[in-house]
Amino acid sequence: MKKYLQLAKITFQEYFVYRLNFYLWRFRSFIVFLTLLFFWLAIYGNQSEFLGYQKAQMITYVIGIAFLRTIVLGSRSADLAGQVRSGELTKFFLQPIKIIGFWFTRDVVDKGLNFFFTIIEILAIVWLLRLSFYLPHYLSTYFSFTVLSLMAVFLYFFLSFTLSVIAFWTEEIWATRWLFGVIFLEFLAGAYFPLDVLPSWLTKIIYFTPFPYLVFFPMKVWLEQLTTFEIFKATLICLAWLIFFWWLSTFLWKRGSKNYQAYGN
Amino acid sequence: MEIKKLIKIWLMYTSRAAQSALLTTGAAILFIVGKIVRFLLFFVFLFAILSASKNLAGYNREQVIFFFLVFTLVDAMVQFLFRGVYHFRPLVVSGDYDLDLMKPLPSFFRPIFGYTDILDFVTLIPLWAYFLWFVFSNHLFTGVGDLILFFLLLFNSLILGFAFHLLVCGVCVLTTEIDHLIMVYRDLTGMAHFPTDIYYKFIQYALTFTVPVVILFTVPAKALLGLLSWQWVILAFVISGVFLWGSFKFWHYALSKYASASS
Repeated sequence: MKKYLQLAKITFQEYFVYRLNFYLWRFRSFIVFLTLLFFWLAIYGNQSEFLGYQKAQMITYVIGIAFLRTIVLGSRSADLAGQVRSGELTKFFLQPIKIIGFWFTRDVVDKGLNFFFTIIEILAIVWLLRLSFYLPHYLSTYFSFTVLSLMAVFLYFFLSFTLSVIAFWTEEIWATRWLFGVIFLEFLAGAYFPLDVLPSWLTKIIYFTPFPYLVFFPMKVWLEQLTTFEIFKATLICLAWLIFFWWLSTFLWKRGSKNYQAYGN
Repeated sequence: MEIKKLIKIWLMYTSRAAQSALLTTGAAILFIVGKIVRFLLFFVFLFAILSASKNLAGYNREQVIFFFLVFTLVDAMVQFLFRGVYHFRPLVVSGDYDLDLMKPLPSFFRPIFGYTDILDFVTLIPLWAYFLWFVFSNHLFTGVGDLILFFLLLFNSLILGFAFHLLVCGVCVLTTEIDHLIMVYRDLTGMAHFPTDIYYKFIQYALTFTVPVVILFTVPAKALLGLLSWQWVILAFVISGVFLWGSFKFWHYALSKYASASS
């Protein structure tokens, strides 16, 4: 445990070594949040309801996206693929550290740091623009939201880890991640817009994928737009995907690390 | 003669970039699939929005789709031509950029034009075909004059895109930081998926004079629809000119600070 705490400390310090990089990353996250917010504010105009969402609900959804992007989709495990291709991974085989523990520790620090700044940025915008915000009425909603969000954190971690581990078998590491970890993820997770504004035949297909359980369903829970049965169903499906990606990532890691030949070195 | 030589070198760069992109066929297919999926999903989202609201900021369904198509076209052309920017940082960090500075080429040539994204070119061909079909089948063509103005402003958008990418390269020389900055540009330009008239006035001003998203995407689209006043035409060319001049000034300043640190 001590070594992971030390790793967390080093990761934390890294961010303040490359400060410009960190500021620009924060600036970018802020811009993503603002562009999405201004887009939906423009679409609503003077209307109070659009596509089944009250204005306050949509603003809450956009704020929720910014929040969940930070704690769920913020991740460092994508760097693992580069280490496989460059041969840098070799050092991990020589160190007394578990690879999943290593990347999860780095992820936690990344999420924690970005979460801190995201909260400040969001509060500043909510206060400046006097935005109305939807707060759940029931205590159980906060509980369900927390459970589903935590499951989403682990689900994304194992999904991202799986995409990185594919680097053991492919020359081009960015293409797979770009398609599944950027394009599919951003659209199908609901990180741009609530998925239920799309035609129902399409949303039914999307609900079978792991992506909506990362952002869309936690936000639907927060907005209290799901019945108890639907929350239960979403939690079960999310759990099934989580177990599947946990198994797949560890299976692929074991197979890949046996074949690893440290080409880059 | 000078231009002819540069075009020849650009074609050589493009040929090598194409060979590199097609070396891993599977990856090339994934990239193309991703571009198509992104386009289609956004299209579906657009239809969902337009099914609930018959018009957007006074534009009807066909016009809103037209703005989206112009955005996609300009964006793909800028990515196709100036993709080299994404490959510039390793050159600066490793010090290999020194080798380019010794060549009888403009200093910005390799950073900007060093890598042409052939996969964007592949998507551009059907996109142009669909765009032209959409314009004529929906009677959005308003006259030859507007068509000429559209192409002039499209060229102006490419100049502006070049100026912004050069600015980012300048920042990279000074700070070795490029990725986040270029993504900030892409996030901001994403606001032009829809006609920029939908946004608050202060955002429209910001999108005209800071990162001129309006000039890049909305102005050419309005020109072809015959909705552009002559004042906007002049403003578009002036802003591009000022941006280009400023970018060159900044680039030369950045180069004067280039320390060739890793060499």
